[in-house]
Parts: sequence; C-alpha cells; structure tokens
Amino acid sequence: MKVGIPRGLLFYRFYALWKTFLEELGAEVVTSPPTNKNIIQQGLTYAVEEICFPAKVFLGHALYLKDRVDLLFIPRVVSFHRKEYNCPKILALPDLARNLFSIPGERIIDDEINMREEGMRGWQKGFLNIGKHFTTKESKIMKALQLAEKAYKEYQTNLKQGILPEDLIDHKNPLPLRERKIVLLGHTYLLSDSYINMNIAKKVNDLNYSVITPDMVEEEKKRYYLSTIPKPSFWTISNEIIGSALYHLKERKAEVRGFIHLVSFECGPDSLVGELIERLLKREKESLPYLRLEIDEHTGEAGLVTRLEAFVDMMEWRYKNIESHVSSFASS
Amino acid sequence: MKATFPHLLHLDIALGVLYPALGVEIITPPPITQKTIEIGVKLAPQNACFPLKVTLANFIEGIELGADTIFMAGGVGPCRFGYYGQIQRIILEDLGYNVNFVLLDHPRYGIRPFIRALQAMAGGRVLSSRVIKVASLAWKILRFSEELETERRALRAQVKNRQQLDEIVEGALEQLRQVNNGESLQAIQEATRKKLNSLERKEIEDLIKVGIVGEIYIAQETKINFNVEKILGDLGAYVHNSVSTVEYVLHTLPFTHSQEKLEAWKLAKPYLKRFVGGEGIDTVGSTIRYAQQGFDGVIHLYPFTCMPEVVAKSILTTVSKDYDLPILHLAIDEHSGEAGLVTRVEAFVDVLERRKKLNKRKLEVS
Ligand code: SF4
Repeated sequence: MKVGIPRGLLFYRFYALWKTFLEELGAEVVTSPPTNKNIIQQGLTYAVEEICFPAKVFLGHALYLKDRVDLLFIPRVVSFHRKEYNCPKILALPDLARNLFSIPGERIIDDEINMREEGMRGWQKGFLNIGKHFTTKESKIMKALQLAEKAYKEYQTNLKQGILPEDLIDHKNPLPLRERKIVLLGHTYLLSDSYINMNIAKKVNDLNYSVITPDMVEEEKKRYYLSTIPKPSFWTISNEIIGSALYHLKERKAEVRGFIHLVSFECGPDSLVGELIERLLKREKESLPYLRLEIDEHTGEAGLVTRLEAFVDMMEWRYKNIESHVSSFASS
Repeated sequence: MKATFPHLLHLDIALGVLYPALGVEIITPPPITQKTIEIGVKLAPQNACFPLKVTLANFIEGIELGADTIFMAGGVGPCRFGYYGQIQRIILEDLGYNVNFVLLDHPRYGIRPFIRALQAMAGGRVLSSRVIKVASLAWKILRFSEELETERRALRAQVKNRQQLDEIVEGALEQLRQVNNGESLQAIQEATRKKLNSLERKEIEDLIKVGIVGEIYIAQETKINFNVEKILGDLGAYVHNSVSTVEYVLHTLPFTHSQEKLEAWKLAKPYLKRFVGGEGIDTVGSTIRYAQQGFDGVIHLYPFTCMPEVVAKSILTTVSKDYDLPILHLAIDEHSGEAGLVTRVEAFVDVLERRKKLNKRKLEVS
C-alpha cells in the first residue's frame, strides 16, 4: 500500500519517526518532492487567502500526492507535549485537506495524536489507531513504534549536532561551519524548507555566520528557561522558540552575535510570541540585536537579502563597540 | 482598588451591577471610538488579532480615568485569546503603567491561582450567599441584555418605526444599569416586552432571513463590526446571531454546558471533526443549523487572520456547496472600511432576494 506524507509543517519534525513506523507496518512510503513553484501554486489555488503560508505550502504538497498514493498520511497532531497544543490549523489539517480537495475521508489517515491530557498514553493510543489501518496485531504496531521512536531519537541527535533537517532528509552536504553564529528562531517548517525561506541558512552562511536553530538546543534547557517567564504560551513549538531565545540570552556564548526570527505573516502564534521575545530581549541590559523577518508568498528575495546584510552590518558594529568598550575598560 | 475591564457589547452593564454590589470600585472604560482603535493599533503587535488591540486600548483608556487594576480572562488555547493577557500585561509594563493585572485563567492552569484571581475579582470575598445572589442577578442582566438585541435583530425589518424600536431597546439597556434586585429587573423585562409587542408591524411577504456566525468578539461587538446587523435590518432582512456571551460562559464554566453549542458541534462533525479553538467549530455547526432552518444566507464575521475562523472559512466553502447556502465572509480589522463593507452587504442581500424570488417561481411552476 502506498502511503503519502506531504512535505510540510510537522513533516520536518517527525519525518524519521513516521517513515520508519509506516515502513515497519509494510507500507510503501512516498513523500512529495522539495517545495517548488508548482506546489506552492497549487496550494495558493485551493487554500483560502488568509491562511498562513506554511499551511498553504502543506496543502500544495498534499494535493501533489493525492492521486499518486492510496492513502494520505495527515495525522491530527493535536499535541505532542503535556498541557500544550498545536495551533488550530494543525489541529484541523486533515479536515482542511478533506474539504478543500473533496477527498473521501477513508483515503486520509487522520487519527489523533494527543498528549495534552494523557501524555505518553495519548501518544501511543494515536499510533495504535494509525497502525490499525495496516494490521490488527497490536504487538506488531507497538514494535514498529519502538523502532520508529529510535529513529526519531537518532534524527534528533543529528539535529543537535547542527545538521539542518533538509540536509538529513535529502542527504545533502551540510554548509561549512562558521566561527560566528546567529540564533535563527522560528517554526521548524519555516526554517527547514529552503525554498520558502529563500535559503536563509545559506545566505547567512555566505555572510560568514552559522545558524543555531531551536532544534539544536537541549530540550531541558529550552524547558528550563521557558519556566522562568510568568505564563508560557500553550503552543509547543512557540514555547520551544521562547525557551531557545532565553537560553541564548542567559547563557551567552561569545560567538553568538544576534537573533533572527523568521515568522509567517498570517501566523497567529508568531504574532504574539515574536512580540514577547522582542520585548524580553530588549529588557535585558546588554542584549543582542534582534531582527524579525516576515515571510509569505509575496516576499521578494532581493528585499530579504538587503535586510539581512543591513542587520549583519549593524550587528558587527554593535559587537565591535561593546568589545572596544569592554577591553578599554579592562586595561584602564 | 479601582478596576477596569474590556468591553464586549453590553458586558459592562452586568459588571456595572455586579462589582459595586461586591464593594469593588470599577472604572468602566469609555465606549469604543475611533480613538480607542487608534490607541490599540499603535501599541499592540501589528499582526495580533483585532480584539487584542481594542481590549488593550480599553485598559489604557480605563487607566487614564484612574484605574489601577485590570480584570481580564485567560485561556488554555489553542487560539490566541488565551495569551492576550500575558502580552497585554507586558506591553503595559513596558509602557511604564504600574497596574495590577488580575488574570482569571482557566482552573486547568492550577485551581489555586484560579481561586486567588476569582477572589481578587470579587473584592477579596470568598463565595458567600451574598456573592452568589449578586452574581446571579448580574447573570440575569447579561441574559436580558442579549435578549434585547435578539429582539432588535429580529424586529428591525418588520416594524414600521425603527427609531421607536431603537428607543425601546436603548432605554431598557439604560434602565438595566440601575437594577439592584430581582424585582426591579423583572419590572423592566415586563414593561419592555410589552412595548416591543405593541410595535406596529409591516406586512412582509418574503422576509429574507440572515444568520450571523463567527468569532465571539467581532460577531457581537457592534461598535467594531460596523453594526452589520443594523445594516441588514435596514435592508429588510430578519437577522439572527448565533454568537452569545451567555452561551460561551455556560460552556466554559466547569459544571455547566451550552446545549446550543453541543448541538452545533454535533452538526459540524461531518466537516470538522473536533474543537479547534475559539468558535471555529461553532461557526461551522451554526451555519449548518441555519441552512437546516431555512435561512437564506449566512454572514461570517471574524477578526482578520483569526486562526479558528480561517479554519472554519476553509470548511464553509464545502458547507456552502452542500447546502446551497450563500455565505458572506467579513474579516474585520483596523483596515476595514465602512463603505466597502456596506457595499458588500448590500450586494449580498440583493443576491439573497433574487434567489428567493427565483426559488418561489420554481415552486409555483412545479
Ligand atoms: S503555527 Fe503559525 S505558521 Fe504554523 S500552522 Fe499555525 S498559524 Fe501557520
């Protein structure tokens, strides 16, 4: 049985897990190709105008796969962290695809994965239900899940080393390591899809910086720093972004020179969390420069490059001035 | 302590009775005007949803009148509303306002902070029989203020003298502010109902029926949504609004639920399988209910980029086809212009009228 995983949204987080799980259950896994103009065009045609760009891109991928596979894999990932949620669009993802493309319900695997109340039990229940599309043997499903979780851990370990999801998934050569770093904040699917983010990691690299993404920060660190603010958000990915930003702010490493926050124009969580992070950074005495870049289908590449270059210049200038201040202070 | 709070249609009437009775001094923010909107737009995050901006401005206008405390409700997601308070608090802090921000969060965030906030909001009192009595009176006032609007929407197109209708409703709303016991409330209710019943009606053959669905704030707050229901009524449409603060509260409190919402959720199931935050699933379900009840069209009102409503909008495309029901989507934010909105609503009512005539002719032929 051919099962299609659209390359968008949580794909970049769970790809290794989903693929292993489905293959262990005997499915032939097909993924859509890296985002291209055509896929985006399809997404734009079907999606309502006001939905966020990443959701449009996802729908484009789903449409690409629709007639190429037996089953579309769009699990309803309500939550992958206790007491937290994903955003409403992710909660409704299978319904969006079903309604917009008039796909019969039985052609979409839309079982709910929900750790909000039940934690790991909700997780296992979700995969058990998904597994039942392929086999009645629960033991076989649980075995597949174990192997899938192992693959997921490995994937995460690789990400922590600084490899970008796309490079891992498509076996591409990683970018050369630079000495100086920029913290690149944002939803993984925005940071990982080099077509929609206009290859920002590469552009930053060309300016002689490596990026550090939230994927590269230890889970415990993110969670610890998140807990230092009065009321964290209820969106898991946003919380990880807040945690990463605060981690880099509080445990500052010399090579880290600034923050770039990539957000989607119509993204609900980003609109609030971006503001929160900017304000938290500004409150810090000797903070680091912060740049928020908004991306949607109308963003032009030239403008992005100009803003990046200007930001890097400013960052360097600030760094040198603080540096010289510090050293002259030390020598006096 | 002088507390202020956000506006939501006539909520201030009920709260204006509740708080003084509890001994809490309140400062009702001035009515929402263009200036309010400008303050909110200037100070709130640019891409935040519109209700966050307007309610932030309510707080600021309340503070300028002397408030030192803010009462705000929180939430657990997944829609942005649950995070408003946190963002607004930080903005106020950064602006240098020294106010006490009391956030009534869902008990799920911890029962103790919930009770603490509730106590703060009840002037330090614990639940006593007196508090319960006052709260239940305020609740009835909220209910009746909604009922008045329900009547106004339904009657506007049908009465001969619309101004008289407005006067009766506005007059009753003003009187509600003075209510201090159940008897005075009942007297107002009876007198108003009598007046409304005695209004002269027109003979209308094919009354167009329009339902309103959408997000709780924008779909209700006539000062923000350009009073779409009035525009519709003036164009000759019978209007019903499915969105209600009363039902919202019933559904949010731990031990009650809203029958109406449960029903809507069930109707939505074939299209949207679960709750997605805010009123997303209610919007879908209520639209289907209007279709089943023979309404001629539905107007969908929501804040621009509101996540649950954008989900609902995507899904309503299918509902509209399946039930052959025209739907007009109106996204509202600071950039919405009155002229454009009126034109769209007029064109929509036009379509509904033509469809109605056409259907009637078809029935007559067959
Ligand atoms: S979190 Fe933001 S970008 Fe992601 S799906 Fe939701 S609205 Fe879109």
